[in-house]
Amino acid sequence: MAYQFDFGLVVSGQYGDWIVDGLVTTLKISGLAIAFSLALGTLVCIMRLSRLKPLEWISWTYIEFFRNTPLLVQIFFWYFGSYTILPEFATNWLNSVDQEFACGVIALTFYTGAFIAEDLRSGIFAIPKTQLEASRACGLTFIQAMGYVILPQAFRIIVPPLISQFLNLIKNSSLVMTIGVAELTYMARQIEAHTFHGLEAFTVTTLIYLTISLTVSFTIQQYNLRVLRTAR
Amino acid sequence: MKRLAVALTAILALALFVSPAFAGKIDDIKKRGTLIAGVKDSQPPFGYVDEKTKQIVGFEIDIMKFLADKLGVKLDVKAVTSSTRIPMLTQGEVDIVAATMTHKKDREGQVDFSITYFMTGQRLLVKKGGPIKGVKDLASKKIGSVKGSTSEQNAKKAEPSATIVSFETYPEAFLALKQGKVEAVTTDEAILVGLKYSDDKPDAWDIVGDYISPEPYGFGLIENDSKFRDFVNISLMEMWESGEYKKVYDKWFGKDTKNYIPLTWTMELWP
Repeated sequence: MAYQFDFGLVVSGQYGDWIVDGLVTTLKISGLAIAFSLALGTLVCIMRLSRLKPLEWISWTYIEFFRNTPLLVQIFFWYFGSYTILPEFATNWLNSVDQEFACGVIALTFYTGAFIAEDLRSGIFAIPKTQLEASRACGLTFIQAMGYVILPQAFRIIVPPLISQFLNLIKNSSLVMTIGVAELTYMARQIEAHTFHGLEAFTVTTLIYLTISLTVSFTIQQYNLRVLRTAR
Repeated sequence: MKRLAVALTAILALALFVSPAFAGKIDDIKKRGTLIAGVKDSQPPFGYVDEKTKQIVGFEIDIMKFLADKLGVKLDVKAVTSSTRIPMLTQGEVDIVAATMTHKKDREGQVDFSITYFMTGQRLLVKKGGPIKGVKDLASKKIGSVKGSTSEQNAKKAEPSATIVSFETYPEAFLALKQGKVEAVTTDEAILVGLKYSDDKPDAWDIVGDYISPEPYGFGLIENDSKFRDFVNISLMEMWESGEYKKVYDKWFGKDTKNYIPLTWTMELWP
């Protein structure tokens, strides 16, 4: 007997609602993690380029550690492992909030932030060193030179790799279902458990991920093209 | 008109001719000489790998053995997970699924179920002596569960203000309970008992509350093969009536085992 496809079941009624709930959670967690990882990545990159050795050393350790360990392990570390090293008041506070979601955002932020820091560094290196020297000669501080002269140009250069990081983050967000965050993949699994119509649930989920990724990719490419055209 | 009649007769003849190709599972199994059962390999005492023999053993395997003996064939078990058990059954890789599967109406679309061979209910595993005595005490608190177990929706229905956090495995849900991330772990009592005794200090944990929902386990069978389904159902009833079922039950859930659950239900017996 062949498998009986029934897409109506998974896109309507109760199970359809689950997919919508899951999609909203996926977008929320991805959006927050994108914003935070961009901020964290920028900060870490500046630390790495500063002439203060301890700062450089800290950011180097952070980047190497988080880029070279599996995200799944990191998710479990933030959720289960951090419990054993955090002080009691901190764990009590975590237990009282929506810590699954919070740990998911933290894990995705720290993981993607490390990659963004490196992408940004390569973008900064693409800008002639003389620009920083000239800015400093004009009397700007290191931070001012970075903020007004170097970073705006660097960000424009790294838009394509940045898009890949964001797309990776959106796809990686499916891993937070392992700590009980009810995002899109989690809901697909749940529908499968209830109805045994797993193929349909996962087909619909795959199409949704594809749509999100292509939309993000297309939008930023368009923006990028326009910026590059005016820059030329 | 005559031509139509001939055509219809031809189609009918063809259908009759073809139908032996869809011969029932029983014939397939007898021809093959083995009954292939999809079972769990990490769900003591239903189905798990024995540390000494490295074989999959358990309550469900013993019932499968009974069925195989009745058919006069050998038993071959294949480990399945909650997500692989149905595709493996519909694709014919296994003849029957015996994997702690709750019989639910929503699940009827893909497979058929046998009559209930094990009856349990969903309850709560909590810290002993704590404030949680039943599901009502969990208002606006977090309850841990496991994906694919269907217990999530039941708990949600019993206490709508509670938040359900589903993990990949039972040990993870239990760890979350130990770390205070959830106030209780909920699933079928039979599984909670196994979980409680997997801990170093089983006395620190308690299984509390009334049944949140009944969880009747049925074997998964291929759709539309009533001959095989009848065979399984009638064999189960025979097992119950002859006392063989009680023997197997006591071996895995009896007083002398660490998974003691009193036998409080009766199998549905057709007159």
